[in-house]
Amino acid sequence: MFRTRSRRAGTAAGSLALVLLASACGGADDAGPSASGAPGAAQLKGKTVALVGYGKANSWGAYYNQVFNEQLAATGVRIDDMTSMDPGTQVQKFNQSVAQKPDLIVLAIWDTAAMAVPIKKAKQAGVPVLVVDGRPDPSVQNDVMSVLSDNVKLGEFAAQNIIEGLRGQGRRSGNVIVLTGTKSMLVTQDRMQGFHKVMATAPEYKVVAEEDANWDPTLSGKIAQQLLARFGKDGVQAAYGMADYMALPIVQAAKQAGFPIGGTDGLIVTSSNCFKAGIESIRAGELYGTATEDPGTIAKQTADYTVRFLSGQKPPQSETVKEERVTKATLDQFAEQCSHA
Amino acid sequence: MMVSRSGRAEAPPDTPPATGARRRPDPLRLAAGVLVLILLAAGASTDRFLTLDNARAILASTAFVGITAIGATLVMIAGSAVSLAVSQTATVVAMIFLATQPLGLGTSLLLALLCGVTVTAVQGAVIGYWAANPIVLTIAAGFATGGVATWISDGTTVSAEVPRYDVLNSTPLGLPLAVYVLLAVTALAQWTLRRTTAGRQMYLVGENRAAAHAAGLPVGRVTVVAWAFFGACIGLTGVFLASFNTGANSALGGTLTLDAIAAVLAGGTAIAGGRGSALRTLGGALLISIISDVLLLRGYSTGIQILVKGLLVLAVVLTVHLRSVRGRR
Repeated sequence: MFRTRSRRAGTAAGSLALVLLASACGGADDAGPSASGAPGAAQLKGKTVALVGYGKANSWGAYYNQVFNEQLAATGVRIDDMTSMDPGTQVQKFNQSVAQKPDLIVLAIWDTAAMAVPIKKAKQAGVPVLVVDGRPDPSVQNDVMSVLSDNVKLGEFAAQNIIEGLRGQGRRSGNVIVLTGTKSMLVTQDRMQGFHKVMATAPEYKVVAEEDANWDPTLSGKIAQQLLARFGKDGVQAAYGMADYMALPIVQAAKQAGFPIGGTDGLIVTSSNCFKAGIESIRAGELYGTATEDPGTIAKQTADYTVRFLSGQKPPQSETVKEERVTKATLDQFAEQCSHA
Repeated sequence: MMVSRSGRAEAPPDTPPATGARRRPDPLRLAAGVLVLILLAAGASTDRFLTLDNARAILASTAFVGITAIGATLVMIAGSAVSLAVSQTATVVAMIFLATQPLGLGTSLLLALLCGVTVTAVQGAVIGYWAANPIVLTIAAGFATGGVATWISDGTTVSAEVPRYDVLNSTPLGLPLAVYVLLAVTALAQWTLRRTTAGRQMYLVGENRAAAHAAGLPVGRVTVVAWAFFGACIGLTGVFLASFNTGANSALGGTLTLDAIAAVLAGGTAIAGGRGSALRTLGGALLISIISDVLLLRGYSTGIQILVKGLLVLAVVLTVHLRSVRGRR
C-alpha cells in the first residue's frame, strides 16, 4: 500500500510539475516584457500594465489583445495578461491586479454593475484604471479614465442603414425587428438609444419587436426564426442584429423561411459592429450594412493613451473612438479594418 | 427487470415496473396531458400560432438542439448522466468543418463527424471501462476542448475560404434540411434502442451497472457505443451550426449543452439511467420550442422564456422521480 501511495504521490507531483512548466513556457508570449528600442522605451521600461480585458476565446478580445500587445511591445512596458471570459473571474482578477499595484489597469468590463465596487477600491488603493470599449457604471464614471467605443453612434448607423435601405426600395412603410445584445449592458442600452433616436426621424418605419439575444449567434437564429414566422413575409421588412454574428443568423433564418434578402424588395438586414463574415455578406449583397467598432482601432488608441499616461502627458479623462458606417458604398474603405476578427 | 447474458430485457425498457400501482394515474402522463391542454388553449388564443409558417419555425428552431439531445438520450439511458462538454465539442467540429471546406463537402463532413465521434467516444471509453465520473470527466474535457478551439483559432472566427456548405442550409419541401436529419437521427436512435442488442444493453447498463457487469454484459463497449452515437449527433449539430452561422468562434456552441440536457429531461428520460426513449426526447425538444414560441408570440421576454424552460424541466424531473419511487414500491 505504501508503495502504491508513493507512486500516486509521485505521479501527482510529476503532473503538477509538468503543468507548472507548461504554464511558465506558455505564458512567455503574452506576459513577458516587450522589446524596447522604440521612442519612449527608456522612459517606460519597468512600467507595468495589468490587462483585465476580454479573453482570447472571444474573437473581438483576441484581436484587441494581440494589437494592444504589439503596439506596446516597443515601449518596454510589461503587460500582465489578466484577461478572462466571465464577469465573476474578471472581478477576482481585477482585485488581484489592484493588490499587485501596477502602474495602470486596462479594463474591458464584462459586468458594469459588478465592477463598480472593485473600481472604487482601486481608487482608494491609488491604482489608476483605464476603462476601454463600454463605459463603466455611472457611479464610478469620474473615478476612471476611459477610451470608449461610440455605442450611441453605432446604433444610429444601424437605423440609418435600415431607413436608407427601405427608402431605396421605395417603401412608404415597414416593420423592423431588433435582436439586441444583453439588455442589461450599457453597451446595448447606448446602441438602442442611438437606434431609436434615428428611427424616430422616420415614423413610417416601426419597430415591432425588440428581443434580447444575449450576443449569442445560435439564440439569434432561433429568435429570428420565430419572429419571422410571427410577422410573416408581409409583416417584417427590416431587421437589426446588434453584431455581425447576430445579423448573419437572421439572414439565414430569413432565407430558410423563404424571405427574399436585400435587393429591390427583400428583407433589409443590418448590424452595428463588423467582423470578417459580415464584410463578405455585404459584398454578397445580403447584409445591407454594419459599422466599425473593430478591435484593432480601439486597441491602437488604447495603447496610445497608455503611453501618453505612463509618460506623464496627462491625456483627457475620456476619449471616444471615431466609428464609421459601413455599407456597400464604403465597403472597400473599411474591409481590411473589419476583417481581423 | 431480468437480465439475460444476451442482454435481452424482459420488460419494455422505458416502462417502469408497475407492481401494485396500475390503478393509480401515471403522474408523468397526467402532467403531460395537462401541459398539452394548456398549450393547446394558449396556442389557440395566440395570434399566428396556428399557422404553417409558425409550425415550420418551431421545427426549425428545434432541429439543432434536438439532434444533440437525441444523442444525449442514449448516454443518459446508459447511465452516464450528462456531458458538460457538448458546446465546446460542437464548436471544434464546426471549426474543422469550415476550415476543411476547400477539400470538398464530403471530406469536410467526414472529418468533422470523425472529430465529434472520436472526442466523445474517448470520454465514453474512460467512463465505460474505468467508471470515471461523467460530470467531472466532461467538465475537464470541456475545458480541454475549449482550450484547443481557442488555441487553434487564436480566438478569431473561422470561416470558409471556399464555402461549399450551402446545401446544408437548403429547405426541401419548405423545411430546413436539419429538420429531416433530426427525424432520421430520432428514427435511428429509437431503432437502435428497441431493436438492437446494443440498445437493450444500454437500458440494462443504465438500470444497474454492477448487475449488468456481473451478468457479463460488455459494459465498457456498450457505453462507448452510446457515446460514439452521441458524438456523431454533436458532430452533425456542429456542422449545421457552422453552415447556418457561416462562421465559427469559441462562442458558437452557446447554451447547447444545457439546452440538450433540458430537452432530454423534459422528455422524461431518467437522469439516473435505464429509462427513456428517443421519441420522448424529440417530444421534449418540441415541447420546449413550442413553449418558447408561445411566450415569444405573446410578447414575453427571453428571460421569461428561460425561466419557464427551467420550471418545466424541474417539474418533469420531479415527476419522473416520483414515478420511479412509486414504481419501486
